[in-house]
Amino acid sequence: MSDEPDVPEGHEARTADIEAALRAGRVPSATLARLEAVRAGRSPWVATLTPAELLAVRSHGLRPIAAIAATCWMYYGWSWTEGHAQGWQTALNRLKEEAIAAGANVVLDVKMRTVPLGVEASMDFTLIGTAARVEGLPPSDDPIVATVPALEFVKLLEADIVPTGIAVGAQFDWLNDWYGSTNQAFAGNVETTVLSQFWERIRQRAHAELRRNAAAQGNGVLAHINFGQMFKIEASGQAPRFLGRQIVVATTVDAPKSRKPANMPWGPPPWGESKARPAVPHEIGMAIDLHAGGTSLSGRPRHHQSYASNDRQGAI
Amino acid sequence: MPNDIPAHARERLKGLRTAAHETGVFTSDFSVNEFLLVRKANFEPIGLCMGTCVYHVGYQFGSWTKNQEMEVLSKAMYHARELAMTRMRAEATAMGADGIVGVKLTIKRLEWDEHLLEFIAIGTGVVHGEGHKGFRAHDGGPFTSDLSGQDFWSLLHAGYRPVEMVMGSCVYHVAHRGMMAGLASAGRNVELENYTSAMYEAREIAVERMQAEAAAAHAEGVVGVDIHEGSHVWKPHVIEFFAIGTAVLPLEQEIAPERIADPILVLSVND
Repeated sequence: MSDEPDVPEGHEARTADIEAALRAGRVPSATLARLEAVRAGRSPWVATLTPAELLAVRSHGLRPIAAIAATCWMYYGWSWTEGHAQGWQTALNRLKEEAIAAGANVVLDVKMRTVPLGVEASMDFTLIGTAARVEGLPPSDDPIVATVPALEFVKLLEADIVPTGIAVGAQFDWLNDWYGSTNQAFAGNVETTVLSQFWERIRQRAHAELRRNAAAQGNGVLAHINFGQMFKIEASGQAPRFLGRQIVVATTVDAPKSRKPANMPWGPPPWGESKARPAVPHEIGMAIDLHAGGTSLSGRPRHHQSYASNDRQGAI
Repeated sequence: MPNDIPAHARERLKGLRTAAHETGVFTSDFSVNEFLLVRKANFEPIGLCMGTCVYHVGYQFGSWTKNQEMEVLSKAMYHARELAMTRMRAEATAMGADGIVGVKLTIKRLEWDEHLLEFIAIGTGVVHGEGHKGFRAHDGGPFTSDLSGQDFWSLLHAGYRPVEMVMGSCVYHVAHRGMMAGLASAGRNVELENYTSAMYEAREIAVERMQAEAAAAHAEGVVGVDIHEGSHVWKPHVIEFFAIGTAVLPLEQEIAPERIADPILVLSVND
């Protein structure tokens, strides 16, 4: 290929190239060269998919291209909570750029990751997934980012539902307890109304933001991560302050309301061209499952470790 | 049988079921499902193969303010794993295995010395039921794979065979932030570009190394890849990016292609 990118040699040149690329919103040259070599068949494809998922490759024309990843390391000079929304959004945009460079239609099996380096007031937002191409479709300039593994992706497609991306809602607020309403030292069983309302407000706002963010990508979300924290900050001679923050992350889906037959590249739908499609076209039967592992949407195995401390509330 | 296998290991290997010793026992760490599916794939387990390596990881100091690969540590992590895997493979060769499935690669810290790491590779050696040698790796030795028995069956029925467990390692020092940089970004949320670029460079190096191994094994692709991050014995700000997966090749002759059913999609009602 004549337009092969120049790959910078050595650490200094490489780092300079990576930083320039990130600022310009393009893929670093070394990564680009690797993706183009795979795309052209000059080096082996790389997939995070399991062998069972290669069966889906066969039956549904999904071809893995390369394992891709994107990172944004945010410093929270202003807001930890809003930094999470910004961090994931930036990583998401970069992941899409890599997928485009790989000639993909879709990124499968996208996992949210954070490295365990405790660097002050900052965190990395990393997305890792497998860029894949759907046979019969041209490369996309707006690839789908699916947080589900290949098998669940196929399962959703067969039901005419497309997992489209990741939506985030992140909100925080402060509460100053000037009147000592949270001091209930000698009270009996009674609701701490001020804090209930404080929490309620933050949660409502976070979910409203999630809905706004999701609406741009699809018409629904599945499987929330709900992460919430509240802190009490006390200083002598001052009213206690409370900080509450809520982060909601979810997989967005596009599930058409009208049940027109879908025109998939692998042929006419099994229920016939002219009939209205059933919501789920498959018969339900009993099966003994030889793959004992769970799936990402049921939360086993953990598909993210960024919010490990309270991921029992939900999974993605 | 290679000479460098210890005598007691040789004794253990001799007691295993082989073509020459049909009444021996087989050992494996298979679950029931795994055992049934490996047999369904026309393979028989013969014995657990192990390789161990206790490694003294050398010294390297990262410059406080610099992003850099810690080459000494990268080499240590790679070399130690390689030694453990080679020893495991030598055991498999000695027992006449065609391959090793379900390889688990673990790292343990030894408490009394922060520079000592123990690397363990363990997997189940298998032979083809009809003595077919076409499943061996390109050098004629046993294939290695971290895929479970279930995955092994699925892989064969997807038209591929495992060749070699491939990996790439990069230990990287992430720079510390200067005081002035902290002041400049007070009150704002900003991206720390040097940190982001550290992650990009380290990950790229690890993935490239893994891909080079796959190309050297003449593989068509790599499945089940995981790129993970770990800090083993090092100071804060030093992290290992480790990419691992199983390199695969298409089967020369597909197993009864007319019988490969389309996968049945299951909507589980239990979760």
